[in-house]
Amino acid sequence: MDLATLGGQFLGTIPLGDIVLYLTTFNLFMFGAALVFTAIIAMSRTESQVEAEFGTLNEREKKVSKDEFKIRRFLSIVCGLATAGAMITGDLFNFTLFVCLIGIVNIGIVAAVKEVDVLDSAFQYGIIAMIATLPLFGGAASILATTGTISLLELVNIPTSAFMLFSSILLFIGVAGESGVAPFFATKAEMFRTAGSPFLVIIHLSSLLVIVRTIEILLIINKPFGV
Amino acid sequence: MAASVLVPTVVSPEVVSLYIPAIFTGLLVGLIGLLAISYQKNDLHALILTDIVSLGMLILVAAVGTDLAEALILPGLVVELAEILAISEILMSREMRKMDKTVELIPLPLSFNMEILDTAPTFLAIILIIYGAFLSGFTGGAIAGGGILFYVLSKMTRGVPSNTWEGVAGASGIAWCLWIVGFLIFFVAPSYWLLALFLAAFGIFIKVAFKVGLIGVIGREEFKKDKE
Repeated sequence: MDLATLGGQFLGTIPLGDIVLYLTTFNLFMFGAALVFTAIIAMSRTESQVEAEFGTLNEREKKVSKDEFKIRRFLSIVCGLATAGAMITGDLFNFTLFVCLIGIVNIGIVAAVKEVDVLDSAFQYGIIAMIATLPLFGGAASILATTGTISLLELVNIPTSAFMLFSSILLFIGVAGESGVAPFFATKAEMFRTAGSPFLVIIHLSSLLVIVRTIEILLIINKPFGV
Repeated sequence: MAASVLVPTVVSPEVVSLYIPAIFTGLLVGLIGLLAISYQKNDLHALILTDIVSLGMLILVAAVGTDLAEALILPGLVVELAEILAISEILMSREMRKMDKTVELIPLPLSFNMEILDTAPTFLAIILIIYGAFLSGFTGGAIAGGGILFYVLSKMTRGVPSNTWEGVAGASGIAWCLWIVGFLIFFVAPSYWLLALFLAAFGIFIKVAFKVGLIGVIGREEFKKDKE
């Protein structure tokens, strides 16, 4: 399975010394989408949560203070840029680093909130993210050990061995833990229960895009339907 | 199924055969860490134990044993440190919210008024900074940073001018940009490698030297209050 079959159309490469980025319609589109969302989030203002109080006609408003607002906006821009980078990179290890950066920044976005519950779930998510670095980097490193390269352009031409399959499974577990999908979603869902919604959306968006890109990378490495 | 590709003939087969045991060691270390976390109910202990799992990650990367793997260990280590800092920061702010009071980063009950606290730090800091500048690069940065840190910690009892520290933080950011620009030149225009080398070397020297911000000196505004 070559890059054009997965990516629609092979548009070319950007050689930067050892690191070679490649462009296909698929990853270029996802790169652009991540950048557009980042721009929208960078321009938007935060919402304030209004909760109706039980038994009375009063309502309670949760506002985000100006300092916290600035930090969150900065961190969500970083998160968006890291997502965009993970979409377009042609290097397996850079991909894992971008995924880790997304994980750290996700913790940072909710780090300054006042709700103890949210901080609690952010802590649990952080522990999972840190444990997930073992399969994430371990998978990338053992792919490097088996094939001698971490460039996706080269990996496309190397026939799959059983050890590469094992490494890919490790890599997938790592990405799942780091971006907080399926088995680890419970802790991450709790993190959304706080004020300041447009910046929280990037947490969600980044994990969605990263999973799509991970599937592409795993298909490139493993070639399940023949070369 | 040991790695069959791209192992140069100069590498002895013993070294190559070490790869599979190293992988198992890494996974075993990770499992031991996970087991310990599952027994542990205290959050702080769980956080410390996750570090063991990350050590397993470092073993897995180091097991590859090539130059590239050596270059990959550093980002792995940095990611691990950044995550443990972020999580411990979350843990601290959660505990502060629970108890409803803030804690000083470095609690120092001392209020000495001694001559030596005024004179010695400056002298020692200047010597360390000059030696660090002479070394340059990462090591030099660490030594000069140690000098600055020593200065700050000894002056803490008397109050350090806050404007200076904000300036230091700004300079650190600019130096970091120089470092990144240096690396970019390496990739984009390799013929200017000497310029790139010097930008990177002195950028990281200033950056690491001013890394006092890392321990939260500026972030926590610990030193802004003059304790005179």
